[in-house]
Amino acid sequence: MKSATHDDALQGRLPLYDDTSSGLDGRQRSETSPQLLVRQSWLQTRRLLIRWRHDAQTVILALVLPSMLLVAVNLVFGKPVSTVSGTSALYGSVPMAALMGAIFGSTAAGVNLMREREQGLLTRLWVLPIHRASGLLSRLTAEAVRIVATAVVVMCTGFVLGFRFKQGIAAAAAWVAVPAIFGVAFALLVTTTALYLANTVLAEATGMVVSLLFFFCTGFVPLAQYPSWIQPVVEHQPMSYAVEAMRGLAFGGPVVTPIVGTLLWSAGIVAVCTAPMVIRYRKASMR
Amino acid sequence: MTDWTGMRPNPSPIRQWWVLSVRVIAPSLRNGELLIAMSLSAVFTVSLYLPLKNLMAAFVHGSYAQYLIPVIALLAVYFSAMSAALRSSTDTVSGINRRFGSMPIAPMTPVAARMSGNLYRCATALATAILCGYLIGFRFYRSAEYTIGFCLLVMLIGFTLCFVGDLIGMVSKNPEAMTFILVLPAVILVMVSVGLQPADQFPGWLQPFVRNQPTSQFLYALRACAGDAGHSTAAVTTLNIAPALAWLAGMLVVAGPLYALAIWRRR
Amino acid sequence: MPTSEKTVIVSGISKSFGDVAALRDISFEVSRGEVLGLLGPNGAGKTTMVDVLSTLTRPDRGHARVAGHDVVSHPARVRRSIMLTGQQVAVDNLLTGHQNLMLFGQLQGLTQAAACARAAELIREFDLEDAANRRVETYSGGMRRRIDIACGLVVRPEVAFLDEPTTGLDPLSRQSIWDLVGRFKDAGITTLLTTQYLQEADALSDRIIVIDRGVVIAEGTAEQLKERTGSRYCEIVPKDSKELPAMAEALSSLLPYEKPTLASDRIVIPAPDGANTLMEALRRLDVANIGVADVALRRPSLDDVFIALTKKPATRAAGGSAAEVMP
Repeated sequence: MKSATHDDALQGRLPLYDDTSSGLDGRQRSETSPQLLVRQSWLQTRRLLIRWRHDAQTVILALVLPSMLLVAVNLVFGKPVSTVSGTSALYGSVPMAALMGAIFGSTAAGVNLMREREQGLLTRLWVLPIHRASGLLSRLTAEAVRIVATAVVVMCTGFVLGFRFKQGIAAAAAWVAVPAIFGVAFALLVTTTALYLANTVLAEATGMVVSLLFFFCTGFVPLAQYPSWIQPVVEHQPMSYAVEAMRGLAFGGPVVTPIVGTLLWSAGIVAVCTAPMVIRYRKASMR
Repeated sequence: MTDWTGMRPNPSPIRQWWVLSVRVIAPSLRNGELLIAMSLSAVFTVSLYLPLKNLMAAFVHGSYAQYLIPVIALLAVYFSAMSAALRSSTDTVSGINRRFGSMPIAPMTPVAARMSGNLYRCATALATAILCGYLIGFRFYRSAEYTIGFCLLVMLIGFTLCFVGDLIGMVSKNPEAMTFILVLPAVILVMVSVGLQPADQFPGWLQPFVRNQPTSQFLYALRACAGDAGHSTAAVTTLNIAPALAWLAGMLVVAGPLYALAIWRRR
Repeated sequence: MPTSEKTVIVSGISKSFGDVAALRDISFEVSRGEVLGLLGPNGAGKTTMVDVLSTLTRPDRGHARVAGHDVVSHPARVRRSIMLTGQQVAVDNLLTGHQNLMLFGQLQGLTQAAACARAAELIREFDLEDAANRRVETYSGGMRRRIDIACGLVVRPEVAFLDEPTTGLDPLSRQSIWDLVGRFKDAGITTLLTTQYLQEADALSDRIIVIDRGVVIAEGTAEQLKERTGSRYCEIVPKDSKELPAMAEALSSLLPYEKPTLASDRIVIPAPDGANTLMEALRRLDVANIGVADVALRRPSLDDVFIALTKKPATRAAGGSAAEVMP
């Protein structure tokens, strides 16, 4: 390594960063300032997105698998469902594939969080002079980005299979927003669980919950086909609301009720999980 | 002064296999893995039967429960194969396989131990599937030997798939990606088969694949062994069973040497 | 800047985890630019002490000030002045070295341009030019430790906490980290160094604090601690081990009241006069015509200090060697 220059030694300094340089910005603001929160959360979100660039295989799989699921479901159940319901099954299966992609992928983020805790990276970031909420916020933002990307890929696959937006551009934009909202709420749930549970248990537990949501959802099989005693459960579970909202936005039919239902579920999950998540994140970062 | 460096006993392969098997099986009894495997079968049964019972009434003759349970058993076995891959991959990545490799343990012993654990899990999943089946109306309509044949066939399928899963896990470097990557192909293989609905419900161009893919062949054999209330299922002939067995044999013939190669390359 | 200024002041810190008292009423001070070594067996409380000072844990009782700010009431201000590296390397493994440096720089307030320039400068300083654009997970152990420390230096800290920084490194990498700590000193950065590697504490620290079971059991420079533990002694190895008794005879007059200690192949005699005793011993052996294969003047190593200080009292009386344990 190079040795310090004579001048620097006189000043008692290594050729280290000079505090008075104008390149330094924001150092003087307090750690809790909202501007810093936005900037620092964005920097950390970018870090998570850069990680994806370096791990291309997983990312591509995460984007492609929901589309493959869509194709399979359509091949298998497309005919029976459209025979029974009278309209194309795609208006249920495309939203469902988008939602599945959104929530299945949040397990990976949960596992990554636990690994970073083990590595000590969470601790390292906690000791930096950054806003205390920026870490969690960045993870949720990265999830939102992933979910929107997945929804768009699924949407394109849907187009190939015959899916169309019959309600206009604004409705199409809202269509993409629904899985984002529900997905981020679910990601919050998975993150909270990741801070409590062990590695493999998390993946399997999430898988099971997600599978149940999938099978008892109106996007899979029309509501009337379920035995009557279980129809209330199917009708009011969060994924059904999300699917119906997206069906209304793309094809037609009731929109307000299912959107309200989706928002209520998402808000409920957020309300229940936020406090435990923040507490556990803090505990996982500190010692 | 006592010799704290210990004695050098002569380990017997059977004993080693037993110790390693317990290592694999015992934790699952404690930490809920077993419970998860059992509830998987129950969850699949409920999740597939309830939504599809009415939908498929027009296309499937007779009881849908009778139609469905063989594929439930297969699904449970496929998931066991995936967790076999996960366990094998974790062992490789954590370095314990390397450690075993430097001890006087025959290379196949850890493999055999893992397979014991996998078979144990398959058996549990099968038993739960049959139990759930009984709850929704599934019955064995043929004589006892065919019932045993059903179970044996499921276990054989489980053995082969877990072996392949173990191999995949050993060469992969990423345990988490493992489950993620294997789930969807397994699910798709099950869906694009005669497991949930007859072949003629699929688009025409897809039907040859549906009829001839290994999952469907397994299902034809299993349904023949279980029989049907209306005796409308085909009788158990070599024509029904042979393709399934041929697929299994084929998989083992390909996977076996690959496995040996993987172990040899590690050394 | 005044060198007598205290950058770390610890006063009466206590911390328990459930029933276990990790720290019991610890007090010490560290001056600006000083390197303080924290020594102690596993579980002694060293890491807990570092956790308290880097705001990762709140103490149950007591006060601590780091860089002029209280760790409990103003943790955010403390965080602006410190850098922490733990036993594990804690950077993002999937990012490249350059990307990691940019991340830490921008998070601490540098603009993108400034962070980029700073990253390039640090990469040059730490000899990571070839690896800057490779993922950190592909780095060797020494390189990982260097990028770890570089990330802590993107913005100048006033206090650096190094928790076992050279564990698992090869001697060359270890030496480069030692050089770095030397440069911290020149730059006026206060360093708290935790280590199990006693030679490291000896070489790097201005002062050493020995902690055992949550309590400071010794404090001082390495020299002072060694003096405390025992005085110097000579080891002489004869060319022919059969001459040992003759050697003992020749040297016995050096010690009016004691026989020299005989090990299997050498003689150990106390050396109160240091080098003079050694010369006298050699002179006598020369007169007695006994060939000498090896001769050494030794003082207790820091290892001996450590063992002596942390040995349980019951075994202290039983142990016997040329080095006496001071009460």
